[in-house]
Amino acid sequence: MDAPVVELDRIASDIWTAMLGLTLEPYHDAPVFPPDQRVATGIVQITGDFEGAVTVQLAETKAREVAAIMFAMGPDEIGEEEVSDAVGELANMTGGNVKSTLCGVCQLSLPSVTSGRDYHVSVPGTAVRDRIGMTCGGELVVITMLLRQDA
Amino acid sequence: MRAIVVDDSRATRAILVRILAELGFECHQAAHGREALDLLAAQGVVELALVDWNMPVMDGLAFVRQVRADGALDGMKLVMVTTEGDTAHLVRALEAGADEYAMKPFTAAVIREKLQLLDLAQ
Ligand SMILES: [Mg+2]
Repeated sequence: MDAPVVELDRIASDIWTAMLGLTLEPYHDAPVFPPDQRVATGIVQITGDFEGAVTVQLAETKAREVAAIMFAMGPDEIGEEEVSDAVGELANMTGGNVKSTLCGVCQLSLPSVTSGRDYHVSVPGTAVRDRIGMTCGGELVVITMLLRQDA
Repeated sequence: MRAIVVDDSRATRAILVRILAELGFECHQAAHGREALDLLAAQGVVELALVDWNMPVMDGLAFVRQVRADGALDGMKLVMVTTEGDTAHLVRALEAGADEYAMKPFTAAVIREKLQLLDLAQ
């Protein structure tokens, strides 16, 4: 089964507008974070007729801002646990909406979140099918869809 | 009116609790279906549950089935709030006994509309 076109930019924009009241703008450069920047990654895996994963990546500082909006708390009150929860849920929503576009019978994993500097995320057996960069208030947000190579 | 918000994301629970509070609900929260059932057993039945699908321990579908199988929880309105947007999931949830279905991402207006359909909001 061929994977249909998935509009990652539209999916991400809809989520950020509805859940956060924030606008994502297109980003025309390579969607790469500077190596010295701390980046949070939320990931959900898709299994079934399509196998792969969806990741949402953003600077930790931005992730804290996003968590503050979701929890309706000041950024100073936001700890690692809140950041991780918020980024995981963004990945869950993004992955869920990607999965719906893929059709077929697929399951979504629970999200996991990691964070650090200058690291690479890979899911064995999959390759990057699509990666987009967008910006929110000038800060980069990267959405990646990985699919099993034979999909 | 009393409600319970069942979702493994604390952030999403926080958003839903704010929306329900605006509509006049007093809210309990649970991180999965099992926790929600325990809470309901301890606190008594509530008018409304907003229920995520993908959660650890007990997912939203299993929770809906358990609530509908339990006569003590009769009359509770169940609204799925989930990223699972395909028709197959929707049909399974409604067959299991869910009253309404809302997609993530959601807005306050969408949640309100769903509750209006159930006569739980003006
Ligand atoms: Mg969930």
